[in-house]
Amino acid sequence: MNNEIRGAVPGGQGEVMAHAVDACVHCGFCLPACPTYALLGDEMDSPRGRIVLMKEVLEGALPLADAAPHLDRCLGCQGCVTACPSGVPYGELITAFRGWSEPQRARSPLDRAKRSAILKILPAPKVFSVAARVGQYTKPLAPLLPAALRAPLDLLPETVPAMQPSPAVTPARGVQRGRVAFLVGCAQQALTPNFNAATLRVLARNGIEVVVPEGQGCCGAAALHTGARDEALTLVRRNLATFHPGDYDAILSNAAGCGAGLKEYPMVLRGEHDEARASAFAAKVMDISEYLHRLLQAGELEPPLPASRPITVAYHDACHLAHAQGVRAAPRALLRFIPGVTVQEVPEGDLCCGSAGTYNLEQPELASQLGARKAKNILSTAPDLIASGNIGCHTQIQSHVRRAGSRAPVMHTVEVLDRAYRGEL
Amino acid sequence: MGSGKRQASGPPPHSPLATDLLRRLPSHQVLTTLAERRNYRYDAIQFGETPLAVVLPETTADVVAAVQAARAAGVPVVGRGAASGLSGGAAPLEPGLVISFTRMTGLRIDPARREARAQAGVVTLAVSEAARPHGLIYPPDPASFRTSTIGGNLAENAGGPMCFKYGVTGDYVRALQVVDAAGEVHELTRDAYDLAGLFIGSEGTLGLMTEATLRLVPPPRVTRTLMAHFPEVGACAEAVSQAIAAGAVPSKLEFMDRACTNAVEDYLSLGLPRGAEAVLLVDTDGDDLPTVEEERALVEAACVAAGGTVRRAGTDAEAAALWQARRSVSPALGRIRPQRMNEDIAVPRSALPEVVREIRALGDASAFTVVQFGHIGDGNLHPNILFDPRHDDPHAVHDLAHRIALVALRHGGVLSGEHGIGTMKRDFMRDAVDPVTLGALWSVKGALDPAGLLNPGKVLPEEVKG
Repeated sequence: MNNEIRGAVPGGQGEVMAHAVDACVHCGFCLPACPTYALLGDEMDSPRGRIVLMKEVLEGALPLADAAPHLDRCLGCQGCVTACPSGVPYGELITAFRGWSEPQRARSPLDRAKRSAILKILPAPKVFSVAARVGQYTKPLAPLLPAALRAPLDLLPETVPAMQPSPAVTPARGVQRGRVAFLVGCAQQALTPNFNAATLRVLARNGIEVVVPEGQGCCGAAALHTGARDEALTLVRRNLATFHPGDYDAILSNAAGCGAGLKEYPMVLRGEHDEARASAFAAKVMDISEYLHRLLQAGELEPPLPASRPITVAYHDACHLAHAQGVRAAPRALLRFIPGVTVQEVPEGDLCCGSAGTYNLEQPELASQLGARKAKNILSTAPDLIASGNIGCHTQIQSHVRRAGSRAPVMHTVEVLDRAYRGEL
Repeated sequence: MGSGKRQASGPPPHSPLATDLLRRLPSHQVLTTLAERRNYRYDAIQFGETPLAVVLPETTADVVAAVQAARAAGVPVVGRGAASGLSGGAAPLEPGLVISFTRMTGLRIDPARREARAQAGVVTLAVSEAARPHGLIYPPDPASFRTSTIGGNLAENAGGPMCFKYGVTGDYVRALQVVDAAGEVHELTRDAYDLAGLFIGSEGTLGLMTEATLRLVPPPRVTRTLMAHFPEVGACAEAVSQAIAAGAVPSKLEFMDRACTNAVEDYLSLGLPRGAEAVLLVDTDGDDLPTVEEERALVEAACVAAGGTVRRAGTDAEAAALWQARRSVSPALGRIRPQRMNEDIAVPRSALPEVVREIRALGDASAFTVVQFGHIGDGNLHPNILFDPRHDDPHAVHDLAHRIALVALRHGGVLSGEHGIGTMKRDFMRDAVDPVTLGALWSVKGALDPAGLLNPGKVLPEEVKG
């Protein structure tokens, strides 16, 4: 699609957006991959439609306010990126566009306060933990609250566990094979501390020393994807100053959204002085499942104990793992490595579960429809256990499968492996 | 192509048409804002004019109401499915009403009658998916079958890889429901005058197809796939002619040239032979394994005799990957140049080697990259001229497209195998159809759409009107 964006938005982010728009041949192959198109059946809420909207806003042919409702409904799941034969980097386009457009948005003071609160609470695990506990006690009042406030309460798990800070260094057990840096993540420290505990145990057991560099913070993805570019840049630069890629074999994340965020750093800093540093950093970033899969392929992953009985695991592809990072085979291979485990593919597996960062809070109705659809698809495989690699999907799926009446446990892929090692599966 | 800025100041949301539509239809079916309307002005090849309003009907009665409103306002009506068409058929040439069928997704399977009753907005693949539990399939399979709608397939008489043995969309239609220009509903069968046949492939210029009764068939029990690659494009066409002459009736015979193969390989990394000038994909199928394998052997022998190298797909997954490769050719070409002029010629099979070579020579002698792929078993080729609208002269592109069309006509071929004429090939109709026949086509159009409000500017060239 020909465009005049480069003239309208000079600089690195303009180039990112212009390139993506150029690449689109508007063939429509993305339509069936888009969750909002599946729900709403209209062109403005499809990837192809949104690319046209963004192009026209950037070129001045369409007021931002007209396009905004449709762009806001995009989950950023990047299902369209997987489906696109022309190679349009849609994720880069929508992220850069949100960063460019947010300062121009007319938002009500209440809306601004809500967004700002979300972006302050999410990246601060201690604050989040307190907020989650308050939320838990408020839950019985949920039916009385407006939808915007009810949505976050609906998502809270039944119990909020105690925080378990990760040690600065977790030594390798036995012969040391590698040394990695680990991003501990934000909300998941408060909601599911066992994700990190299991990650450290599994890595140590396989001879990997894990360092949690002090001073690290939020990956910045939540800020970036909601258009808070300045906040995101602060967080990005803080992590770039904290993690020294040369010191580690890999920089690991166990949250698909965070991993995808870290891999986006070069795009965020396109055309700026620390772009090269961001590229060196991103080249070392891996999802925990990718890293463990490499050990498995090298014959260096310790075989887990067999499950106590045959177990069917429904594996859910987190969008930010499958679509944004292209990681599909690794988590499945790790699960199949456990004797007794069968991995089930989920119908409509490429369709987002509706969680996607702050989407639940900003578009609760669509998020809930997608969550219910995902739960139905997952439960159609009659799983004993549900696994995924992202905290956002985890809370969304857990909440919706419970609502659908299932008690099947929902775990992180690495938790399943950890349990198998401990003979508790 | 409509420029980005020309339409910036569209009419206010509540134009008289919009006001009338909102009186006749529920508000969630009527789109009036600029952002909404501007997203209904394109298809997969072309940008047109911003419509005055868009309707997303859910029933045939909604379509009737929309047509009546357009008629009262005296504005054109353009029907639209998923807008994955490749001839400009769904891109409006004048401001008017766009009726988008994407929410008309009602689908019923009648296994006893081996029929599907589908509303216009049903996605093509969904018909086969719904039929499969009953031991039936719907064979027409355009490359866009995951996206495109039955209504769009009917409007363009879409084909697909299966059409060599199983035919195109029109061959599977038993009955059609059509809303005419006056807003009257017709139930058309193929008895007496085949009026259903008249509407199939009419690209929305004679009426709006709202429902269809489609014929379903049992799937073949076994399928075998092979891939062959050739050092020269014409040799691939010769292999196809020889295989068919020897008595093989493959279900699919598809070819792609070197540039296509490489564009797809950039997307899917399947290990396709990047160096080959032409790649041929063949399925043979049926209920009797020895016959199916015998047919494959005939094709294999013809390929080897023409200088090709043959690889059999070992597994279903390998075969599926090869077919995904072929389906992705068209959009993957965007990786080479941002825009393309897409031809859709069909020529007698005996002329294939010569036609393929002549088009190749035209491309080589031009300033543009010309690539070829298509349903070579039917002689249906898609030569594509790839260009960059920022630098290339649109007249030179059009001129080359015209010369390619003339190659087809000179060899006894036609302008469209499956994509329709739309606006892209409308001007070439004067070369393809004699003036008397064109006059007859205009008479039919005039009888069914006297005010000329149905998808104006498509299919029929203006000059010969009357």
